[in-house]
Amino acid sequence: MIVAFFESVKYSGHMVAISFLRIFLGYYYLQDAIVKFKGDFLVRPRVAEMISEYLPASHAPEWYKWILSTYMVSHWQGLAFIFLGIQLSIAISYIIGYVVRPTALLAGLFTLQMLYLSNPASHDLLKILLAVHIVFAWLGAGRCLGFDYYFFKRVRGFWW
Amino acid sequence: MKHFVLFIATVFTILFIAYLNKNQSFLVHDQKPTVKIFTYSSFSSKWGPGPVLKEMFEKTCDCHVDFLEGADAGILLQRLKIEGEKLGADLVIGLDQYDLQKAVVQSNWRTLEFSNLDIDPQIKAALKNEFFVPYDWGVLTFVTRDNPSIEIPSPLSLDQLLEKPFFRKIALQDPRTSSVGLQFVMWVLKIKGEEAGYKYLSQMMRQVQSFSPSWSASYGLFKSGQADLVFSYTTSPLYNQIEEKNTHFKALEMVEPNPVQVEFVGIPTSCQHCDLAEKFLNVMLSVEGQKVIMEKNYMLPVFKKAAEGTAFEKIPIPFRLMNVQFPTVSDIDRILKRWSDLRRESNL
Repeated sequence: MIVAFFESVKYSGHMVAISFLRIFLGYYYLQDAIVKFKGDFLVRPRVAEMISEYLPASHAPEWYKWILSTYMVSHWQGLAFIFLGIQLSIAISYIIGYVVRPTALLAGLFTLQMLYLSNPASHDLLKILLAVHIVFAWLGAGRCLGFDYYFFKRVRGFWW
Repeated sequence: MKHFVLFIATVFTILFIAYLNKNQSFLVHDQKPTVKIFTYSSFSSKWGPGPVLKEMFEKTCDCHVDFLEGADAGILLQRLKIEGEKLGADLVIGLDQYDLQKAVVQSNWRTLEFSNLDIDPQIKAALKNEFFVPYDWGVLTFVTRDNPSIEIPSPLSLDQLLEKPFFRKIALQDPRTSSVGLQFVMWVLKIKGEEAGYKYLSQMMRQVQSFSPSWSASYGLFKSGQADLVFSYTTSPLYNQIEEKNTHFKALEMVEPNPVQVEFVGIPTSCQHCDLAEKFLNVMLSVEGQKVIMEKNYMLPVFKKAAEGTAFEKIPIPFRLMNVQFPTVSDIDRILKRWSDLRRESNL
């Protein structure tokens, strides 16, 4: 598997630049997840505050706003845990290049969700991130410098 | 797909175990009461007065202080209205005189007995309400640099700002999103009267370099040299002097009486630890607390004594200040609507 990891550069060398972007983004998500874990993200209602502050002005559908403000604000601990778990999954997946395609789709949905919930000042960055996740899913960015290459060669299928 | 599900499950399991381990340290924390203070982010940030006041208070109260942050006073009120008791705020810090009426309409507040406070006579009018206590204040004026690209008369009048040399040289704030911007609009309307004031504001639209969404954004534009004048606090140059060792900025003397911004603190009736909240308020109003707020917030203390022997004592306070005004919510809404119309009509 380790051999396949490095061998991937030889056979899918045209994707090295994309892999660099993937690993860089994984590192970015990892850093953010560590800061949140070490800080008070899981023990204080940061998510609830974010929802209360930015959701009323967001362009999210009304039913979605209703669900978030009715159920999620009061269950902020579970939501914070899910958010952090998803971020950590994206980080690890992108860094090691494993299950990148489905993770990129998950990351796209997560980013879309953050577009509704976050400070409008960060919307431009989130839109760019959304486009990058879609490109990763499209290309199967884990096939170069990633463990996905190993499975792609042996298992094949849509998800590699 | 099986790989993906297993991968996600593994990550979540590891995170859960790590969380359980980490959580042990927080169990000790829960044994003491926690006073929740709702304030704007620059108050509770590490460079603001919040952390120092928290440390001072926690030494004596046998409790913990938690800051709940909102970006600014507008957000504070919005969240108080939406979440009410669920928010769990024991104390709300950072409302200015234009927020008070809205705060009273939207939420219920405990009556505070501070009418006999011996505060600075310049802001005595700020004690006229029963629910909120002033904790700092500032005088607003135009600030410029040592060698502006234009000649600026001293004292400067509002009318002179409409003259040709000031074209696109003034950085102001949007009154719909910035309390300082609202101060400017209310100042003009008070000085000129409503109709003449709107006419003035309409002419000012052409003169202004930009209407920034916040005070900090407009001050940043000014500091980067994109504007020669910015509407700001008389204490702003002192901030540049102390924090940035930059002595090239100065507050201008105005012909008209300067507007005053007073910041207030209040205790909502939904407070859980009301006594502790009141004790924290007393810490804010102590001489030491006032010094901390003054030095971190770069606002004037409500007690003159706190400024004695500091650089703040030397800040010249204009001879004439405007009285603190408490306009109604409908007045502010009407004024902002008219300002928005003027802005739209100016096609800028």
